Amino acid sequence: MASLTRNVFLFLGRTNVSGLGIKEITNRVTYATALFANSTSGNKGLPDRGGRGSVGRRPRREPGEPRTEKMPLDQDWTSVYPSATSFKSNAVPLPVRMGYPVKRGVPPEKKGNLELLKIPNFLHLTPAAIKKHCEALKPFCTEWPSALDTDAKCDEHFPIKVESTDYVCAGPSVRNPSARIVHLKVKLSRFNLDDHARKKMLKLVGERYCKDSDILSITTDSCPLRQQNYEYAKYLLTVLYHESWKIEAWEAEKTAADMEEYSWEDSLSQKNMLDTLLRMKVAGEGEDAEVRKQLLEREDVQDYKDSVVRLKNEGASESSMLQYKEAVRKVFNV
Amino acid sequence: MAAPCRHVGHHIKRNGRFLRINLDQLFASRGLRWTSALQQQGEEVHEESKEPIVIPRKKSWSSEAVLEALASTVHRDPTAYPYQFQDDPYLSPRTSSEFKLFSLSQESGRAAAKYFVSNNPKFFTKDFAEPHIPCLMPESVTLRLEEVSEEALKERITLRKVSAAVEMYDQLLQAGTSVSMETTQELLDLICLYCDKNPVQEGAPEVEDAEEAGEETKRRKPKGRRAADHLRTSWKENNNAERIFNLLPEKDSRCYSALIRGMVKHGAYSKAFSLYTDLLNNRLSADVHTFNALISAVPDVRDKFNERWDLITELLNQMNEQKVRPNLLTFNSVLKALRRCGFLAKTYAPQTLNEMKALGIAPSLATYDHILAVFYKSGSSGPNNTDIIQDMLTELEGTSFTCRDPHDVYFFSSAMRICLDSKDLELGYKVHSLVEVGDNWRLLGDSYQQSVYYGRFFSLLCMMEHIDVVLKWYSRIIPSLYYPNPQGMRDLLQALDTDGRLDLLPTIWKDIKTLGHDNKVDLVEELLSLMAREEHSPEVQESFAACALDVKSVFDGRSSMEWSTSSLSHVTTLLLRANKLQQAWDMLLLFKAKNRVPSEVLLNNFLSVCQSSGAPKRAVELVQLAAAFCLPATPVLAKTALAEFQLTDEQRSILSEFEAAPEKETE
Repeated sequence: MASLTRNVFLFLGRTNVSGLGIKEITNRVTYATALFANSTSGNKGLPDRGGRGSVGRRPRREPGEPRTEKMPLDQDWTSVYPSATSFKSNAVPLPVRMGYPVKRGVPPEKKGNLELLKIPNFLHLTPAAIKKHCEALKPFCTEWPSALDTDAKCDEHFPIKVESTDYVCAGPSVRNPSARIVHLKVKLSRFNLDDHARKKMLKLVGERYCKDSDILSITTDSCPLRQQNYEYAKYLLTVLYHESWKIEAWEAEKTAADMEEYSWEDSLSQKNMLDTLLRMKVAGEGEDAEVRKQLLEREDVQDYKDSVVRLKNEGASESSMLQYKEAVRKVFNV
Repeated sequence: MAAPCRHVGHHIKRNGRFLRINLDQLFASRGLRWTSALQQQGEEVHEESKEPIVIPRKKSWSSEAVLEALASTVHRDPTAYPYQFQDDPYLSPRTSSEFKLFSLSQESGRAAAKYFVSNNPKFFTKDFAEPHIPCLMPESVTLRLEEVSEEALKERITLRKVSAAVEMYDQLLQAGTSVSMETTQELLDLICLYCDKNPVQEGAPEVEDAEEAGEETKRRKPKGRRAADHLRTSWKENNNAERIFNLLPEKDSRCYSALIRGMVKHGAYSKAFSLYTDLLNNRLSADVHTFNALISAVPDVRDKFNERWDLITELLNQMNEQKVRPNLLTFNSVLKALRRCGFLAKTYAPQTLNEMKALGIAPSLATYDHILAVFYKSGSSGPNNTDIIQDMLTELEGTSFTCRDPHDVYFFSSAMRICLDSKDLELGYKVHSLVEVGDNWRLLGDSYQQSVYYGRFFSLLCMMEHIDVVLKWYSRIIPSLYYPNPQGMRDLLQALDTDGRLDLLPTIWKDIKTLGHDNKVDLVEELLSLMAREEHSPEVQESFAACALDVKSVFDGRSSMEWSTSSLSHVTTLLLRANKLQQAWDMLLLFKAKNRVPSEVLLNNFLSVCQSSGAPKRAVELVQLAAAFCLPATPVLAKTALAEFQLTDEQRSILSEFEAAPEKETE
């Protein structure tokens, strides 16, 4: 009976192919009739999901209990999860729950839980496993030189630190493009740089320098191989050093806006201060330039200079404002 | 690595002098250290440090060494399913037949995939793997050369197309071109290896029907093996190999060798020997493989033990004369032939071993297996001298083996058989510890051999060991390594019985169901009888009753399983002991349905339980049932019921009827 309906379906389908306009409607009709016919043809074709069925049919396969039931308490967990695999709910004997809670209920259980599968797990790296791995990897290591027992000594003898990562992956290809990246870190204080060289280096390097820790870090990943990136990083370091020592002709055109820090000499603040002081001392003492120099050497003027420099360089903070206030009061004897 | 650094260091050092001049003012306070900005790695002795810094030399290792070291930290997980299957309880095999089915279907899927890839290479040109994996790329299976030439013949030989190769050869001969000796030899090798038939491929298998197998093959059938016999080929008279061989103008020893080995492989033993005499007459010398084949064929051409041994010695002497050096397989074939030489074996096997030692050939597991077979006949009971196997195991302790002979895989199961026969547990543990050394587990053979080995080991344990140890081994090897057969389960039940751990029976029943042995009626009956034999504590009784109900549902579910009187009464007793009156009553009705008669004891039991749970109506029904069965105990039952129960008048009248009834009959 089912086969007859199928033939009918096919026949109808073929005749309607030519009529483009009504095709969709009639196709739906044929689909509907086929479905209807199938459902009336009885249980023969469709598998009976719930019941046992007649004698002679294979009984429904039981899902079986998860193997966590059989796991002894003192088993070797590192053998159950030897490498990074996704979360297997029938192998992990923990009653974890994860996910958004069901309405007025709890998060769903671990069986068939997709959320637990999506997140990375570290079941293969329990402390016991790490201990075992370390023991196994010890033969590959050489011993540490005894003379380098403090961090400071290491920094002193080996100031350049090069870092790169190796990746292991079980996939069609063992290559990983991220393995070519090389980071080179060095402290700028180890370099022989005078004031100009240091400023120029910092300008050249820009964001790669961290002021707090005084570390210059160069990261290279433009070449396809790690060896090439390493050599490029070293080349960059060398070039930076030498370039920062060279003084180009156009560097003389450095304006006040290019300066890294504020200097009080020949600044508006100095001019203003001296003008104010001169006007205060009405009694003319001599020539302008000499008076100015004398004024400059006064201690309170020096204090004022320090406070202004500090304000401009470090920004406005509680203590710097206080210092400025004190300096101004001293200068004007307020 | 050090070189570029040194280069940089040099660079700085060269400028260092220049720098020093400019820097003293600014950096004077910092000391001498900063004059050379970057130092070379390692080789300098610093003025300020006290000791020299010694950088050790970097170690080198192979590319997989780290992974192998990490892998050595991991051992077998006893609860895990075999690694090739999905790690899910629904999807992994539960019985040994399922295991075979699943692994074969996996292999079949792989073969189908390989077939598609090889037959449509134009769709599989992109190579994702880095580094290149050759076995995943499509391999050429179709012939490219169609013209009649030696190249085409060579191609057919490499692609193992036997009939096409023979055809091509005939065409070449007809055309008059001479084929080089080497190609002819390869062709002969090919034909003899496959016995003139194309090797079975993914397409329609060309199965040779077993009726054509001659008497010789029938005699040589190994005991108890399965369908491989159907595929055993037989050497037909005057087939292509012989024909081509006879057509050859000059036959050299390699051609003879191919023919002889092919004949021995496919059962034409006497022909092989006649061909060998031919070879001797032509004053050629055979190579070691030919001799190995001939020695293994000796028991099939001679019947008497001493004749066999004489022929073997003759062959060995000829080998010596022809200056052919024997190898491991030679001695293994000698020992294998000796196995069929009866009492002579015990004299000559040790001599063979000495010869091996003299030549410096280390024995393989197959050698040891043959020796065990010679000295320990299977099935012989009585005090067997286990000295030989003890010495053997002590010598082999801790050794790691590789497979050097196809017969190596039989060693462990025969050793375990001997341990089982002599009921020696220590010996069994020794054998098993040898299996656990390194990669020796690979030498346990295919799944059938493995199941034989573990089956014997488990029976030995059940027989001789304390139940706790047995259960420990049970959880370790079942079902990850071994699916026990009904005999194994029976052994386990006996062990539980001996050590009085019958409370574990419900869990064992669950395992029996998972293993698919719940359709074995005698096993189930034995389980039931063990459960019903004695009274136990209430919790145990409860679990037994639940188990009994489960058994009942299994019986009901299968039409092939028949209830017997004993199983019915056991189930009823168990239910009664747990005071499940309603279910017990259903069981009694089942008695009626299956035409079995309940025993008197059972009915008395039922009555007493009725009394303790206070169900007088049931008691009346019971007496009625007993009457329906026409049991002689009916009046006794009726009397007891009347006496002990609180009954209504109606019930009393019914019962008194039964009290009287049989007396009427005897009249």
